[in-house]
Amino acid sequence: MRAILHSRLLHWKHQIIPLLFWLLLPIIAIIGFTQLMNGLQKDSQIPVGIVLEEKTELALNLADKLDQSPLIRLDILEEEQALRQLEKHELDSVFIIREGYQDQIKKGSRNGLVKSYQSDLSFAYTPVSEMVASYVQEETSRMKTAFTVQQLSKQYELENTWTMEEISEKSKDIERDQNLLRTTFTFENDNEEQTNNSLPSWNKWGLWAIFALLSTLFLFDWVIKEKRQSMQTRFPFIRFSFTSYCLWNTLLYGGLFFISDIITLLVFHFLLDQPISLSKLGSMMSFRLMLVTGTFLLAANMRNRTTYYGIAFIITLLTAIISGAIIPADGIVNQFPIMKWLNPLAPFLNNELNNFWLYAFLLLIMIWYIRKEKSYASYR
Amino acid sequence: MLHIDNLTKYYNKKQIFKDLTFSVEKGEIIGLVGENGAGKSTLLSILATLQTPSAGTLTLNDLSYNSDWKKIRKQIGYVPQEIAIWDEFTVRENMLFFEKLSWVKKTEEELRQLCLEMKLDQWNEPAHTLSGGMKRKLNMAISLIHDPTIILLDEPTVGIDLKSKKEIGSYMEKQAKKDEKTIIYISHDMDEIKSLCTRIICIGQDSFYKNLLQNAGKNVLVF
Repeated sequence: MRAILHSRLLHWKHQIIPLLFWLLLPIIAIIGFTQLMNGLQKDSQIPVGIVLEEKTELALNLADKLDQSPLIRLDILEEEQALRQLEKHELDSVFIIREGYQDQIKKGSRNGLVKSYQSDLSFAYTPVSEMVASYVQEETSRMKTAFTVQQLSKQYELENTWTMEEISEKSKDIERDQNLLRTTFTFENDNEEQTNNSLPSWNKWGLWAIFALLSTLFLFDWVIKEKRQSMQTRFPFIRFSFTSYCLWNTLLYGGLFFISDIITLLVFHFLLDQPISLSKLGSMMSFRLMLVTGTFLLAANMRNRTTYYGIAFIITLLTAIISGAIIPADGIVNQFPIMKWLNPLAPFLNNELNNFWLYAFLLLIMIWYIRKEKSYASYR
Repeated sequence: MLHIDNLTKYYNKKQIFKDLTFSVEKGEIIGLVGENGAGKSTLLSILATLQTPSAGTLTLNDLSYNSDWKKIRKQIGYVPQEIAIWDEFTVRENMLFFEKLSWVKKTEEELRQLCLEMKLDQWNEPAHTLSGGMKRKLNMAISLIHDPTIILLDEPTVGIDLKSKKEIGSYMEKQAKKDEKTIIYISHDMDEIKSLCTRIICIGQDSFYKNLLQNAGKNVLVF
């Protein structure tokens, strides 16, 4: 093994840049893609200014609700500044929560609570103003309900009396529990529903798996480079047959990938808030072993590098489309249930160790090894 | 040392050669000549254990090719006609690479010395920058890392300048005389064959080579 490691280090010394590029590509691609998506999401949000003439609980609640909307980028500003930015078209619209907003709501008054401005280039004023109006309406209705409940409890002289805040909180709880308009959107590996209010997100591990497939395929072109006919004549006169040389080197590449996978786990954990677990590590190792064995088998049966690169791209593209790793593939899986079983990425995305393809590739490698060892040996 | 008895080779049903019988002793340099397609490279491949004969027996130092081919391979230094080196590596890295995978351990200094004996002194030069002659020398040096007792060369001097040819020739002579290594090599260069070889094996029915070499007073064995 040391001999193979030394000989491989000589190769790696001359391939350090492409080696690092392909090893780090999946991590860099995911970080870059995350940044890009965050930037795009931010750029696509509507810039809205809000001016708080009073900083009461209900006024701050309204600002907070608007801020939580994935479609709005909210800036809390002073009136003068907000209007200046609106004139420069840096804001789409401005909403001023007037002095006395909370008192008016509690009194059940709905008129003149919020003042709004738009410019001649405001394209989203109408939906945003409707959103503001609906939030205000929601709040006034809640207060009116609370007032009515208090009046009824007085009228019927009930023992239990509730404050406006208690009734308001109860009302929010009921609204949360009976929210009929919530829909769910899940990826292959998402067992729990996404309950946050963000726009549909993309599967980081799924995308990583696709890039890992591509980088493994490209790093394994060494098999084609090193099995050229002239080099084959060297192997009978050294300690290793070509088959054992290949397998030892595949193991070394597996080790190298394993190190990069550990780095990936750490980067995903610290930069992208992805949890680290033993099941993730196990499924990652199983997935990597499947990639390495499958890629080795493909490369060992190819002669032309250009054809190999072409096939590598096609495999990556097909896997990306049908695996459900990036684009949800529920439709395909529902129509052809066998797809779920055949999907090489599914066990990894579901944090499972067992992978049909891994076992198939290991079996094929054993067959390849036995057959090749026989054919390379001229005398038996 | 090397005994070949009634060696026959067919490809499918086509006969390449039939009933070759000869022996080669330590320190001999044997030239293999013949027209293209006569079977010289096939014979060399069989001697190198890279192909099996259709019939006949071979032994090297009392080891049978049929049963002891793995041991025999450790005694063979095969220099392929096609240059088999890593172009991106330096001479040093090429030598180190094959030493690491070799049966025999050698120090870097020993490897360098092996190259210097062949007048290959561009130790730290990348192989792709070497001249054709230097590449041939490196190709040969790699095959000799494990100290073989028999060296089989398939046109080792093809396409190289006269100076490099002479240097390779001198090195082969030294290996045969001083280190008592057996050398069998294929060449189309009759001057080289005549000056280096102790015996010549002519394969093929064409009498051209036989006449040419016998006139030069060489011991020619014709098959």
